[in-house]
Amino acid sequence: MLLDAMMMEARKGLMERERERDQFPVGMRVLAVDDDPVCLKVLEVLLRRCQYHVTTTNQAATALRLLRENKDMFDLVISDVHMPDMDGFKLLELVGLEMDLPVIMLSVNGETKSVLKGITHGACDYLLKPVRIEELRNVWQHVVRRKFSNREPNNNLDLCKEISKPPSADSYHRLGQATCDSHRSCDQSNRAGKKRKEPHSEEEDDGEDNDDAAGSKKPRVVWSVELHRKFVAAVNQLGIDKAVPKRILELMNVEKLTRENVASHLQKYRLYLRRLSAVASQQASIAAAFGGRDPFLHMGAFEGLHSYHQPFAPSAALPSFNPHGLLSSAGAAAFGLQDLASPKANQCSSSNGIASHCAGDTEKFHIVSLQDNQQADLSQGLTASSLGQPQLQQKWIHQETNDLCSVISGGALANTMSGTLQRVTSSSLPPEDLLECTPHIKVGAHPSIGIPTGSSGLLERSVGVSANLRDSCISQQCALPISEGFSVNKLPLHIPFDGTGVTKLDASFVAGEQEMDQKGIFLERMSVSVCPSESLIVASNAKCRASSSGSIILPLPRDTERHSKYLQFGAASNSRHRMDGMRQDQRLNSGGFSYDGGAIVPEQTDMYDLGVPKLQGGFNSSSCNFDGLLNSIIKVVKTSVMLKISLFMTVIFPLKSLFSKPMFLEF
Amino acid sequence: MFLCDIESIKGHLDEQFRQVEDLQDEASPNFVEEVVVVFFKDSGRLISNLEQALEKYPRDFNRWDAYMQQLKGSCSSIGASRMKNECMSFRDNCGQRSVEGCMGSLQKLKREHAILRQKLESYFQLLRQVGPAGAATRPAM
Repeated sequence: MLLDAMMMEARKGLMERERERDQFPVGMRVLAVDDDPVCLKVLEVLLRRCQYHVTTTNQAATALRLLRENKDMFDLVISDVHMPDMDGFKLLELVGLEMDLPVIMLSVNGETKSVLKGITHGACDYLLKPVRIEELRNVWQHVVRRKFSNREPNNNLDLCKEISKPPSADSYHRLGQATCDSHRSCDQSNRAGKKRKEPHSEEEDDGEDNDDAAGSKKPRVVWSVELHRKFVAAVNQLGIDKAVPKRILELMNVEKLTRENVASHLQKYRLYLRRLSAVASQQASIAAAFGGRDPFLHMGAFEGLHSYHQPFAPSAALPSFNPHGLLSSAGAAAFGLQDLASPKANQCSSSNGIASHCAGDTEKFHIVSLQDNQQADLSQGLTASSLGQPQLQQKWIHQETNDLCSVISGGALANTMSGTLQRVTSSSLPPEDLLECTPHIKVGAHPSIGIPTGSSGLLERSVGVSANLRDSCISQQCALPISEGFSVNKLPLHIPFDGTGVTKLDASFVAGEQEMDQKGIFLERMSVSVCPSESLIVASNAKCRASSSGSIILPLPRDTERHSKYLQFGAASNSRHRMDGMRQDQRLNSGGFSYDGGAIVPEQTDMYDLGVPKLQGGFNSSSCNFDGLLNSIIKVVKTSVMLKISLFMTVIFPLKSLFSKPMFLEF
Repeated sequence: MFLCDIESIKGHLDEQFRQVEDLQDEASPNFVEEVVVVFFKDSGRLISNLEQALEKYPRDFNRWDAYMQQLKGSCSSIGASRMKNECMSFRDNCGQRSVEGCMGSLQKLKREHAILRQKLESYFQLLRQVGPAGAATRPAM
């Protein structure tokens, strides 16, 4: 063995790195990041013992720099979770998004929530310290697995051949760029056969030309902010459920970008959104600062939320929405009204939680998702998960409209409600808490929330919720006198995505009167989006600014008899989620999910023209996660920023709509 | 015979230390001692930071816990089991918000730290005296 080791050393000295790489996994290039010098030293030697090529650094910033400078320099990253200069999860996200490299987390802490956090942030593996060499010997599988799942099925065989073919300067390069390839063949590639797992054992005498499989010698695609923004814009335009790589590629119109690149990026994007919505769900449940007095509870509409009942919801300060099985989070989201004085709310307390709250004297409806203490806890997690972008505070702008209020309260609030957005801000929520709820989300698909990945917090918060009240129950229960002439103006919300304010989400209220396809049913949709703390502009002006990726559409029942309330949370609502033909003339483009940019929704000039906001931007519309939607709606409202949330409360899910149709959010 | 098997040091060092010893080879001839030196330097710093934090941030259990987590990581990596146990007990005390408990754990931790340092210093000294021949008797794995 000593002799072997010596020979290996000699070989290394003689051959270039390419030579090693051709004997993958020998020579696999690993970047190890850990602020603990003891651990780093041991890890380095352990990895060397596995015949990997190791680079170590004790600073996450250095690691990022190394990775960014030369995209093809490493195959795998191993990072500690607790580091002083940057949270390991944040580094994990950045690496996964920017470089598409497998990342393995290391930690002393093996708590479930921590591991879960790693998973949801995209870690390939999560190892506990002290790391044993046996665990490290197999880490190369993560590199290979990623490449396989990213390639077309017909390419997989070629990939195997590449791995096993005789050394060439390009072989490794091509292997590296295989990660850019399409992800769509994932299933197929998995079926491709077990022997693919052992690429190095593939026969080496295959003389087939692998150039076709590898394609041209493209460098690894770096998803810059600009590029990602285009990507998100394309996805939004297509609609998250219809966003296929080919079309996205066409829309993006970027030279030298392949469908495979787009496909693999899309895959990651979806994962990201999923995580956000999960976080949002958690938030919604937590945000249940709703008192149990909301009559909304009794609304039959809640029943539609049965399926969304989240087990974890009860843990949050959810109001007594549970009777209806309404997701506590959903309910909370709907009624995340806090202690805001709303004496007048009782006017409309009949059916509409929103109504009841709208009528508040102060007209301040805060959707409180997190109390300060909760915020504090949560912020840790979120901060951790934020990607190097300014931590976007989760702020939801809840837009109130005079019209809505008046409608809800029968006119009493007409003057009180203004087109101000209620800005619920909460410090970053710890994704881990949110993530914990993830397993419980049974909604179905994953919410894809077009939230810029600028910060995990942002993402989580930016779940747009478009709530369309369309529940006749509501109307029945609602004693709100809805004036005929009620018209909700459209409030465009500009939502800058993050501190940099790059992305803007346009949220607008749907003019129920205009939009309602149903007769006499007034639907208002309010889009609320989370806005980053800095960019959130909460003002009692017509402009609603919110940085969020979602829009909350709160339909305002006009016809109490037969309007159905449908709370749609459409963080990524696209046309598919349009409620029965509601006009969607608003598009909310969620910003990029990893960069500050993202789709920038044109600002609506007419604030009070309600239109159906259409959230786009990477939302999967396959299924609706009301929890997430509600959660996203629920935000902690900073006392300094008081927004009036009237429509927000109308989170009522029709029984059928939720289940039969894909909702805005795909979870 | 690995160091962690020697009676006098059993309990202070565990299997992980054996792994570390295993890693020493011709490529890294002084690996174990290097790691140990780094460990004591780093852990000394961490303990000192922690002591300062105990004073400067009274009852800031979260902060204390975070400090201790770092130290626990180092201890696990090198196999310093008794120290690691004290780390865990300190963190338990943080969880229970017991200042006295934390103080007590810290004192024990410092004691174990000193003991371990002493034992390892003796050990390496012995190794140097024995010379390369003595080192070669250890299984190179």
